[in-house]
Amino acid sequence: MATIQLSSVKKVYAGNVTAIHNLDLDIKDGELVVLVGPSGCGKSTLLRMIAGLETITDGTVSIDGKVVNQKEPAERDIAMVFQNYALYPHMTVRGNLEYGLKNRGTPRDEIDSRVAEAARILEIDALLERKPRQLSGGQRQRVAMGRAIVRKPKAFLFDEPLSNLDAKLRGQMRIEIKRLQRNLGTTSVYVTHDQLEAMTLADRLVVMNAGRIEQVGEAMALYDRPETLFVAGFIGSPPMNLVDIAYLREKGRVPELPAATDLVGFRPDTIRLTPLAEPHLTLAATVELYEPVGGETHLHLRLEGSGQLIVAAVPARTAAPEGSMVPLYVASADLHPFNSQTGKRTD
Amino acid sequence: MVENRPWLNVLTHLVLILGVAIVAFPVYIAFIASTQAPNTFLRGVMPLLPGDHMVANYTEMLTTGMSTSGAPPLGLMLANSTLMAVIITVGKIVISITSAFAIVYFRFPLRTLAFWLIFVTLMLPVEVRIIPTFAVVANLGLLNSYAGLTLPLIASATATFLFRQFFLTVPDELMEAARVDGAGAMKFFRDILLPLSRTNIGALSVILFIYGWVQYLWPLLVTTDSRYYTIVMGIKRMATRADSEPQWQLVMAAVILAMLPPVLVVILMQRLFVKGLVETEK
Repeated sequence: MATIQLSSVKKVYAGNVTAIHNLDLDIKDGELVVLVGPSGCGKSTLLRMIAGLETITDGTVSIDGKVVNQKEPAERDIAMVFQNYALYPHMTVRGNLEYGLKNRGTPRDEIDSRVAEAARILEIDALLERKPRQLSGGQRQRVAMGRAIVRKPKAFLFDEPLSNLDAKLRGQMRIEIKRLQRNLGTTSVYVTHDQLEAMTLADRLVVMNAGRIEQVGEAMALYDRPETLFVAGFIGSPPMNLVDIAYLREKGRVPELPAATDLVGFRPDTIRLTPLAEPHLTLAATVELYEPVGGETHLHLRLEGSGQLIVAAVPARTAAPEGSMVPLYVASADLHPFNSQTGKRTD
Repeated sequence: MVENRPWLNVLTHLVLILGVAIVAFPVYIAFIASTQAPNTFLRGVMPLLPGDHMVANYTEMLTTGMSTSGAPPLGLMLANSTLMAVIITVGKIVISITSAFAIVYFRFPLRTLAFWLIFVTLMLPVEVRIIPTFAVVANLGLLNSYAGLTLPLIASATATFLFRQFFLTVPDELMEAARVDGAGAMKFFRDILLPLSRTNIGALSVILFIYGWVQYLWPLLVTTDSRYYTIVMGIKRMATRADSEPQWQLVMAAVILAMLPPVLVVILMQRLFVKGLVETEK
């Protein structure tokens, strides 16, 4: 159990490629923080810097108030779950779980009891004598988690641990990780590029882009009020629609928005096809594709005039035949004003 | 190819049988020759069926040897050969696996240069550098010693290269997981890398043992004392005799006996050998 502080952390690779620019982040004790962003945004690098697998060019990483920049991964007392699990192929599951404890000189009876406990929690008791290649993907994933929890480390670091699993198993394991982390109360940092995984897991979400933090906060706070255009486009699926303010002005009355605004965003699920009582924006568009996804339907719409494609998420079985022209209503309260130059929110 | 055409079956079998015959016939001749009476060869015709002197010939070779040829008893030469092959095998594997480990897992100055220097020696087999190598070994006073027999043959670019290629296929995460688990470099090498290389080491041992066993030119150069003669060069000495016909039946018995250890190694290590060559799953 521990806190993790990153202060003005910087990573510059050989050839002057800056992967992380002066980044600050405080992770509270017992918190599950998810680093999310597109590939190459530096999220994995940051995690590996916390783990001690990458050197830190500048700034400090502290675990439990102690600067650990110069410490080996093992001395930082963290456990890591890798994307490809990185189980030792020639050892049995038991051997894999025990290895870290043995290296620490943990007494035999303590090793046995910890392995038994971890195996019970993860329901891998029956697999202890098998080799990793005899296990399925989901089982390997559990063993990898087991290897982390037997150590009772100060923090868990997860590096895209679910991306090698199929969609259904991924959903299950996600819930299990969340439950496990809650029960153990261990500080965790979780890296993923999947925004759904990020939103469902995170106590706090850190959206990263190009080596910088775009926004930090609870999942719904980021969804409701994205501070930058990048966050607006990254969080939420289908992504937020962004329309030029000039187009809106041309098409009708636009509610009062800050002066710097030149792009207006609205989420697909806030678009209505029937008039609203509250102040709203009215648009018209042609239905280009009618995409039923079960509980709701995604309409791919081409805006009248500009021809821009937007997406609306409407209730299932909404009558909107492909090729027809439909009116769109978005409440003024649901609009997100942005400035495209700064990439920031203007209100 | 799952085609089922009778004439194709016949053809493929013919080719295989022909291939086996070409490889096996000289060995068969050697065996037949080793069972003949001493005067059989004077007639100039090579018999194709075994004679009745097999027990006598082999007993003579294994007990007294051919003392007239200046070669030591067969037992000593076999022991020398075995010792030489084993030292070369173990030495080559130890040296090459550690150098491959250094090259793949450590960042040190001139790392790539070190690798390429090792690699370039592939182009310089013993035969090419034999005179300078002999000079070095002679100046070190290693003539007529096991060290002199084996040391110059131990450095191996091939094995280093093979281990390097294998280490490159081992995922980095394994090393990182070991680091997080508190294993230092040497512990990682011993606990993770060595067990993973087991089949590669097995396959390589077979190849290297045979390489060491069949060395001819180098032992011929560095040994003048018959106590250090190896079997492969010893056979040559038996075959060349002044003033009399070589005793082919005894020479061939020695040949057959000299073939046994490598054959034995191949048979015993076959499972590991094949696994090491074909296994892809780590």
